[in-house]
Amino acid sequence: MRSFRPTRRTFLKTGTAAAALIGMSPALLREARAQDADLALYRSAKIDWQQASGETLTVAVIPASYFENLITLAPQFKALTGIDLRFEKIPPAQIRQKCVIDLTSKTGTYSTHAADPMYYSLYAANKWVEPLDTYLKDKSLTDEAWFKFDDIIPAWRSADSVDGKLYGVPYDGEVTIQVYRKDLYDAKGLKPADTLEAYVANAAALNNPNDRIWGCALRGVAGAGQNMYIYPSIFREFGGEWMKGGKLTVNGSEAEAALAWYVDVMRKYAPAAAANWNWPDIADAFSQGTVANYIDAHSSASVVNNPEKSKVIGKVGYARWPKGPSGKRVTSIWNWGFPINAAQSDKRKKATWLFIQWATSAETQARTAHRFAGPTKRSGVNRASIWKDPEYVKLMNGFGANFVEATMQALEHDTDVDWRPRVPQWPAIGDTMATAIQSALSGQATVKAALDDAQRRIEPMMRG
Amino acid sequence: MSANRIRFFALLAISLVFLLAWAFPVVWSMLNSLKTDRDALAYPPKLIFSPTLEAYRDVLFGSGSILPNLISSMVISVGTTIVTMLMAVPAAYALARLRFRGKKFAGFYVLATQMLPPVGIIIPYFLVLRNIGWIDTYQGIILIYLSFSLPFAIWLLVSYFEDIPFEMEEAAYLDGASRLRTLWRIIIPQVRGGIAVTIVFVFLNAWNEFLFAVVLSGNTVRPVTVAMFNFVSVEQTLWAKLAAVSVLAMLPVVVLGVVAQKHIVKGLTVGAVKGGGRR
Repeated sequence: MRSFRPTRRTFLKTGTAAAALIGMSPALLREARAQDADLALYRSAKIDWQQASGETLTVAVIPASYFENLITLAPQFKALTGIDLRFEKIPPAQIRQKCVIDLTSKTGTYSTHAADPMYYSLYAANKWVEPLDTYLKDKSLTDEAWFKFDDIIPAWRSADSVDGKLYGVPYDGEVTIQVYRKDLYDAKGLKPADTLEAYVANAAALNNPNDRIWGCALRGVAGAGQNMYIYPSIFREFGGEWMKGGKLTVNGSEAEAALAWYVDVMRKYAPAAAANWNWPDIADAFSQGTVANYIDAHSSASVVNNPEKSKVIGKVGYARWPKGPSGKRVTSIWNWGFPINAAQSDKRKKATWLFIQWATSAETQARTAHRFAGPTKRSGVNRASIWKDPEYVKLMNGFGANFVEATMQALEHDTDVDWRPRVPQWPAIGDTMATAIQSALSGQATVKAALDDAQRRIEPMMRG
Repeated sequence: MSANRIRFFALLAISLVFLLAWAFPVVWSMLNSLKTDRDALAYPPKLIFSPTLEAYRDVLFGSGSILPNLISSMVISVGTTIVTMLMAVPAAYALARLRFRGKKFAGFYVLATQMLPPVGIIIPYFLVLRNIGWIDTYQGIILIYLSFSLPFAIWLLVSYFEDIPFEMEEAAYLDGASRLRTLWRIIIPQVRGGIAVTIVFVFLNAWNEFLFAVVLSGNTVRPVTVAMFNFVSVEQTLWAKLAAVSVLAMLPVVVLGVVAQKHIVKGLTVGAVKGGGRR
């Protein structure tokens, strides 16, 4: 046996190491305690957060501040669950393609991804994602009393469900509202429109291209989430129904009236370029003071109130979508939700659920919103309770008059699950409709011809 | 004014219009890259503004630095170019000079791969790479890029090889040189221009590719074309930063273009003066 003979060097080494450890221990202890305090609120849930420890999840998200905030909290999740998170940021236009490729090929690359609600029908029809009710009801995986699933905005939850079954949990969402220049409206004694008719009248009253002010702007660029973001609302407000007698119909009389309204208001009162605008372009134009009103996602409020860009801060007001001739207001119910990729091992599916539960919990929502240390504050938190939290409400009302009220009223009363035809064929249908609308907007086809053509193209898709 | 002068000024005016149309996007990006986000958005556009390098500082050294992405792009493009050229030069020589069975078919087949729409083959590519564990790796992306750069390079090079008079090769054989030695010593120096042109195009195609890159890359290997899109979010477009990245992404291509220019001019004209032929 080799005897241990301390030399001067080993003595020094051990001594220094011990001294360093003792010196650092308060810091280490503090850190451990801080982490415990950080995680205490999660640990109060009656589930074993560590049950899938050792797994690594890849999560695809889009580059957006509300996901950036979540990414910075990944170390907390790791400390809580022992699960590693790898985030991959994919541009919004490509995330659908890339995730559909992953899902079709059953490679299980992404445990979950920021999913478009319109894709759930396709996902569910092919069993690419898991129905989530079993996870929600499993007591070993979810503490219902802690998670309070019902607190998540009902409209977004139903958007992420197919035939009453839940397939994704909303993380961040939007609703469509009117954003208007309060100062310009006040100067002319106008009120935000309550009906589509009044909307046109307001736009006409304010439209003054010679002074570089246009009456309104709506998304015009062709695309399933672009002109097909605005048009479905108008269609439904005019009393349109996608599935008339069980058959997808896009060329009825309500459709004609709706598209004619859209084309008319865009031609007369929107900047000519708006036919090719997406919502960041609209928000940019509004923030430069050239547009008096637009109808779009409530989240654009943060852009038109960005002090680095905007010239209209303090002059912005908000209102709900105007009512249509049918007496209804119909807005989109967009959100990014997280589904569970079905092509994974059971343990990894559990890990994915723990991630979804963590990310969509009230606690994480608050930590990524008003309690987030960074500069960007989310305006799309998924929890009704947070929308009532005075701290959050105060922050959101910084965007201008009536912001929280308009948003909440729209979320509670103006959304409609069947806002767009919820069928697995949606991606192709959405693109076909978008092209038809564009040809009407650009004057290449009459409203009727455009819709008839779309109907002709869509019919075989529904058969196949 | 004489008729000649009128013609001169008319031509000058037309040239200026073309120059403007050609230079506009580049100049516009450069100007925007020197603005703040507020100035970049201003309408009517600001031509006079106080320039700032803030956008460059942000995209190079900020939290979402695109330096790793520029490196990714460089490794992919240089890698693709080297491997492509190593394979394309002998292949093009063979197609231009050798006689073998199925040569016509081989020539056509190489071209046929170019006729497939990229979107149609992306899923099989994804699956193959995924199964061999090459998603999000340099070798994976370079391998896929070869599938379109190689046929393109071969077809471009074949025409240059065909333009070299066969007598030159014969003279070398008579002097006792082997086929490889002839290729290396006699032929390649003759098609230097063509090779330079091909290198530039292969590099450019790899540098600018987006569709395959966005699907086959991940967090480790992420070329600048994909990273650039992070400045266009669902929330807003960061115009100044986007412009700064575009300018940075243009730089290597411009440098390559300038370096290769001499050869390119030679390469483009070589066919006109020499007559050769396919064997």
